[in-house]
Amino acid sequence: MKMNKRLPVVFVAILLMGLVFAPLAPAATPVKIGFVYIMSGPFSAYGQFAKKGAELAVAEINAAGGINGHPVEAYFEDSTGKPDVAIRAFRKLVFQEKVNYLIGLDSSGVAKTVVPSIPQMKTPLIITHAATPDVTGSVCNRYVFRISVNLAQNVKAASLLAAETGATTWTTVGPDYAFGHQSWEYFEKYLKAIKPGMTFLPKDEVAFPPFKTTDFSPYINKVMQSKADGVLVSLWGGNLIDFVRQGKEMGLFNGKKQILITLGAAVEVLGALKDKMPEGLWVGTRYWFLANDSARNTAFVKAYHDRYGEYPSYNAHGAYGAVYTYKAAAEKAGSIDKEKIIDALEGLTVELPVGKITIRPEDHQALTDACWGKTAADPAYPIRVLKPIKIFKAADVTPSVTDAGCKK
Amino acid sequence: MNGAAYVKKTILLILGTALLLAAPAILPLYWIMITTEVLIMGLFAMGFNLLLGYTGLLSFGQAGFFGVGAYTVALILSHGGTSVLLSLGAAVVVALITAVVIGYLCVRRDEIFFAMITLGFGMMLYTVAHNWVELTGGSDGLPLMMVPPLSFFGCEISLFDPVQMYRFVLVMVIIGIWILWRIVQSPFGLMLTAIRENRERLAFVGANVRQLRLAAFVIAGGVAGLAGGLFGLFNAMATPDIMHWSFSARPVLMTVLGGMGIFFGPMAGAAIYFGLEQMMTHLTQNWMIFLGLALIPVVIYFPKGILGSLVAWKKTVPQKRKKPLP
Amino acid sequence: MESFIINLLNGLSWGMLLFLISVGLTTVFGVLGVLNFAHGSFFMLGAYLCMQVMHIVPSFWVGLLVGPLVVALLAALVEKQLLRRVYGRDIAFQLLLTFAILLVLDDGVRIIWGPGYHVVEPPAVLAGVFSLFDNTYPIYRLFLVFAGPVIGLMLWAFFRFSRWGKRIRAAAMDPEMAEGIGIRVPLLFTAVFALGCWLAGMGGALAAPHQSLAPAMGERIIIESFIVVVAGGMGSFPGAFIGALALGLFESFGTVFLGRVQMAIPYIVLAAVLLIRPRGLFGQED
Repeated sequence: MKMNKRLPVVFVAILLMGLVFAPLAPAATPVKIGFVYIMSGPFSAYGQFAKKGAELAVAEINAAGGINGHPVEAYFEDSTGKPDVAIRAFRKLVFQEKVNYLIGLDSSGVAKTVVPSIPQMKTPLIITHAATPDVTGSVCNRYVFRISVNLAQNVKAASLLAAETGATTWTTVGPDYAFGHQSWEYFEKYLKAIKPGMTFLPKDEVAFPPFKTTDFSPYINKVMQSKADGVLVSLWGGNLIDFVRQGKEMGLFNGKKQILITLGAAVEVLGALKDKMPEGLWVGTRYWFLANDSARNTAFVKAYHDRYGEYPSYNAHGAYGAVYTYKAAAEKAGSIDKEKIIDALEGLTVELPVGKITIRPEDHQALTDACWGKTAADPAYPIRVLKPIKIFKAADVTPSVTDAGCKK
Repeated sequence: MNGAAYVKKTILLILGTALLLAAPAILPLYWIMITTEVLIMGLFAMGFNLLLGYTGLLSFGQAGFFGVGAYTVALILSHGGTSVLLSLGAAVVVALITAVVIGYLCVRRDEIFFAMITLGFGMMLYTVAHNWVELTGGSDGLPLMMVPPLSFFGCEISLFDPVQMYRFVLVMVIIGIWILWRIVQSPFGLMLTAIRENRERLAFVGANVRQLRLAAFVIAGGVAGLAGGLFGLFNAMATPDIMHWSFSARPVLMTVLGGMGIFFGPMAGAAIYFGLEQMMTHLTQNWMIFLGLALIPVVIYFPKGILGSLVAWKKTVPQKRKKPLP
Repeated sequence: MESFIINLLNGLSWGMLLFLISVGLTTVFGVLGVLNFAHGSFFMLGAYLCMQVMHIVPSFWVGLLVGPLVVALLAALVEKQLLRRVYGRDIAFQLLLTFAILLVLDDGVRIIWGPGYHVVEPPAVLAGVFSLFDNTYPIYRLFLVFAGPVIGLMLWAFFRFSRWGKRIRAAAMDPEMAEGIGIRVPLLFTAVFALGCWLAGMGGALAAPHQSLAPAMGERIIIESFIVVVAGGMGSFPGAFIGALALGLFESFGTVFLGRVQMAIPYIVLAAVLLIRPRGLFGQED
């Protein structure tokens, strides 16, 4: 009986309180973040990974009170992996959706051609996947940052590993576009400096299969017939899956040659190959979910696995980390203003699941550790895992600012 | 064409141009940029229509000339060139020369053989752009770090501003369309249509079919070069993607969507294409399947294209009205 | 020498796969007069359906049997409902319609099976390797080298000697005349399109143990099979066979000798053939 009498009073009280507080606490203006990844077509797996990571970060941040009190809203656009579509997507996000910050880009070629147009939009962009050294090198500018491991860092780690393998003559199998060619050029440059006396096969004796290749046997044959005892493989995605299966059939992985696969520890590749992935190959990646047991990483892997039922790929980590990087920059700046955020991003140190990263103010490349490991079976996981894991410190693998060649 | 219809058409054209010039005052910035793209791709497709719609030749290598235009502009401007207009002029000239060489080898073939041989040459150009790293930047393409301002009699117009860029593209596209219009209306244009209708008869009356076709091919190539140059300026880039055969499919799609052989059909097709794309990518990530599902009825039920069907429908309506009731 | 033989085998096995796909394409063109842009998508569908069947009945052979059959049924539906309406129209319409079908099939596959990569195991009998000089070579690839001519010969015998085959050839030569002597041409066209797509699906299912399955696998192969069909001569059986083998071998040996130009090999072959023989190697001049 008492309850019934009290109920209207409580109701009125709540209403009054609402009236009093409503003008005091207006719904905070949201911080809008625009994401541009490959969302459709053959490579949409990468965009879907990024979207999962981004949505997890946004949900976590909103549950904890947003960025500087502003709730976060995410906008996703499809680059389709083509530069003109990607630039249109950026225009839409900036001019139509009026986003505060941008995150994205899978393809290196797209990144390199789109980056010079970002200053026109006066909005910061954090790149999380595209690895071309140029976006924090020859075409760098005030508005573009990258928090993921770039090609130079990854390949520098590869050459440090290569120096210890005992192989003395090196060849490569890489996709026939800038990424494959650059991987080989950087590898040669770094390994020569680390360990003089190494031989590298000339460019017409190494293998650069076109991107559309499905039959790698001629290239595998070429590598097996060559006098090289070490092979740098920079294929990725479906190309890498086909290469590994066909190479296994033809006996490429029988131990005669040392093999380093720069993007072999990607979960979409390991997940497709499962136990068909040979054991004992050196594989690299930008983020490996078992690489460190910091509280930050453990929490991320658990939250991601609980939400999606799978382990986070490096692309999921990239988008996730970029959202948190903006959060940290906004807190450091005490503002969500675009230009102030850029100033705050320069030199910012933030702890991400991958570890502590610091954004170099001179070229906007993050100093982040590079991860390599040897493939191994583990009954606890459905896919091959890395054992042992080798972490290369950022300071050891990142080229100097002068070498990066950024003139902002 | 009678006088009244001519006046009506002229008024429509002037109204349309005025509307496009005034667009920046009405449309939000993003839509101005989309309109810029519609104009560029529309011009590209209108040049292509001279081949498919007027001459009856399906070229699957037009992206090659488009790319040649974009690369010419990007190369000149990134190697110290400062005149945007001169670089565009060079884009047209280089595309014309390329089209003469390729056209000379291709115009003897018909139908699917013409389509396939142009595809072959287009893809060879693509390979050059993709693999000649020293000149073209390889697979990454050439990013334009800056687009120099236009200078007209001492006053400078910055093309960095999207609205100014839009106005510049509009003027260039109108010039391109005007040239195409003069060509289509000339005796030469009428001969082209005659080739499509009946090649043997035309050859019989003494016309050199091969030369006529080559001329059409070269003009279409030059227009593609101009459109490609504008594309390079607008997006500040030239990349191999725009020379791939799948890019050559775009003007085909736009022309058939809008209406083959109708002068403004491809421009309407370009507008429909971008409109559809904007709508679908907004609604769903599975836009490819919906684009396919939307295309099927268009191809089956609108053989004249959207604009073509509209024109045909307008022509039949007044006649029906005039019919006396029984 | 051993490098030569391995390259030869590589070229042959890839060429045979290309032959299976191209022979379907060329048959459809020869009879229906339609160049099918979606042919590669039926190839992809064959691979995915083979995989799907293997999830239910874990046998590659069952997948190889059932997968392409389902593809053929779907193709019959496509012909009856859609393709039939554009016969005799400008090739631009035929290409666009089949391109629209390609978009629907490719994206459909991506929606159903996801954008990721899938892997199909070869049957146990063919899984191993045999030693070739100092190297090993997969048995499955040798199987491909033999499967191509066997299916090709069966097809040739079918067209040459069976009643249906004779009817199809009659309809291809002169549809009106064929109708006149009592052949049900529309039904025949449906059957031919289904047969062409069955061959594509067969190629897909045979390719499945050899390459990863992804929604792009059809797009990669379609232009090359177009080239084979056009360079070989539209509608020509021996043209498709010689064209596919030549392209397979050119690409295999090109990787060794040509370096930077190899990406353009198929296009150079195509242009060269068409410049010398306007209707392709085995095409009939008119």
